[in-house]
Amino acid sequence: MKQTDVLLHLENVWKIYKMGEVEVPALRGVTVEIRKGDFVAIIGASGSGKSTMMNLIGCLDMPSKGTIYLNSKDISKVSESDLASLRGRTIGFIFQQYNLVPSMTAFENVMLPMEFLEYDEGTASARARDILTLVGLKEKMYNRPTQLSGGEQQRVSVARSLAANPEIILADEPTGALDSVTGKELLNMLTRLWREDGKTIIMVTHDLNLAKYAHTTIELKDGQIIRVSKNHGVNKK
Amino acid sequence: MKFHKCLKHAFDMVLHSRLRSWLTILGIVIGVASVIAIMSIGSGMRERMSEQLGGLGGDILTLGAGFSRGNSMFGPPGERGSRGGGATATDEEPVLDRGDVQALKSIPDIDLILTTIRGTVEVTYLGKSGDVSLTGVDQKVWARITTETVSEGRLLDSADQNVVVIGGRLASSYFGKPVGINQMIAIEGNVFRVVGILDEESNTIYVPIQMAYQVLEDKTTDVYDSITIKIKNEDELDAVMSKIENKLMLVRHVTTKTKDFSLTSSKKMQETRSEMMSSMNTFLVAIAAVSLIVGAVGIANTMFTSVLEKTKEIGIMKAIGARNRDIMNIFLLNAALIGLVGGILGVIFGGILSGVLPALMGESGMLRGGTFVSLDSIMFALSVSIGIGILSGIIPAYQASKLKPVDALRYE
Repeated sequence: MKQTDVLLHLENVWKIYKMGEVEVPALRGVTVEIRKGDFVAIIGASGSGKSTMMNLIGCLDMPSKGTIYLNSKDISKVSESDLASLRGRTIGFIFQQYNLVPSMTAFENVMLPMEFLEYDEGTASARARDILTLVGLKEKMYNRPTQLSGGEQQRVSVARSLAANPEIILADEPTGALDSVTGKELLNMLTRLWREDGKTIIMVTHDLNLAKYAHTTIELKDGQIIRVSKNHGVNKK
Repeated sequence: MKFHKCLKHAFDMVLHSRLRSWLTILGIVIGVASVIAIMSIGSGMRERMSEQLGGLGGDILTLGAGFSRGNSMFGPPGERGSRGGGATATDEEPVLDRGDVQALKSIPDIDLILTTIRGTVEVTYLGKSGDVSLTGVDQKVWARITTETVSEGRLLDSADQNVVVIGGRLASSYFGKPVGINQMIAIEGNVFRVVGILDEESNTIYVPIQMAYQVLEDKTTDVYDSITIKIKNEDELDAVMSKIENKLMLVRHVTTKTKDFSLTSSKKMQETRSEMMSSMNTFLVAIAAVSLIVGAVGIANTMFTSVLEKTKEIGIMKAIGARNRDIMNIFLLNAALIGLVGGILGVIFGGILSGVLPALMGESGMLRGGTFVSLDSIMFALSVSIGIGILSGIIPAYQASKLKPVDALRYE
């Protein structure tokens, strides 16, 4: 595999939280490469450092030590403003609690990333409509989050993550708030995005059953990677 | 994010926290309305004062009997006319008479001297009568010194005897029927012919001073209520005033301490009044400004609450691509919008308030001139309210923009 296929590279990454005088390491010297078009599950028990790793991969936080390369770019050397734009263009987030803006309709929520990236109004609204139709919310695109079920809200969240056509979809416990049927539907949707649209999916979960959908599994324990395994039963085609 | 999109999100923020936003706006409305009302009253009073004094010109002095400290209308009443001396007996009220006129005539810097007496008389026209104010003027100089203008007819002339010039309102409506030029009116039983009607909407009557002595029974011939002096060179006002005072003190046998006359310059009176008005206005605006400061604190409070309330949303927005300046712009525009809406409503309420104030206060005193909401005061109020909104919003907006996405997303 070529070096250019590496989308994300974490090199000896540490994240240390200060609790008063005490320093608590959440990640300890993590080195990992995530390649384009992979479906990665980051698993581990509570407190293993999954969420911290997700924040760092999503460029929402900076490491205490080590380097993170996104598309070969050292994110610590990018200005705050450029990092926000880079994040908006490259990564689509799906959160456990959906994290939709409650005062906005589904359509407005999907429009939001494109507004920050200053898309042309017509292009953005056409794209928002198409994506909402794709996730099966054509009839409910002008509903506010409170007028939607949990599954529907998560579909809006998926639609929003796809709005700016990012290379990476970063999903944090995406089925955590859904029932098993809706959860399965969502995972099928993510699999489709991986297989058919060539998206790189990174899913953080504590549920080993969900990890079965992923092609690569990274297992964390006490802030360190203890295993990276390939699921050969899961293929792109 | 494009500016109009930031504005839309800021507007949505106002709409989605209606009660809190409106309460904040109310604070600004009260402040701006007070400032507008006070400024409009001040403008109205200044306009009226200019009307009253402005027309007199800087070369006009008014001499009155009795002493008024500081050449102003606000001298201690106890001292007015209480000092004897001069041309009259020490125990009597001081008066102005021919001796004073003669003394003034000897000063070469004086161009014109107008003697005047005043009183109230009963006037009858076509069977209807009423009491009006009458001014007797030296008709030989009146036309050259007065600022009055006629809408019909002419001013008084040197040869005039039984003729009058009457105020506009007296001519048009006072007697029920209009009084025209060359018509006859009776003043205290004496018949006078109307030769001129003034532009000014007043009930005043001007007659030659010798005729005024005949109809005003309590007046003594050659004793005047006031003397108006026109000097030759306005630039030498102070020096001429000093000369006149010295001369009069000499002929009236008084000193600076026992001075029994007052010499006032319309220009100085206007300046003094203007200064007083300006100080009073500044004081009142300062009081009103306190409510604006309270309004500003209200906006800052609302914005801080809003930032706290929207911390998670800020985190979401940052996660999906919002830059610090996008967040800063949205919150700043939100604060500016609150200020602008408060300012607009404040201007409207302030305008209404300044309109009804003269009526509420019985159109008394200086408010009789009405109030005047100038474009300047509107622009000032709107700029101040938007400025206050932005200033109050800067710190909360900066705080919002600097939130770390990871911390903001964790906020519950």
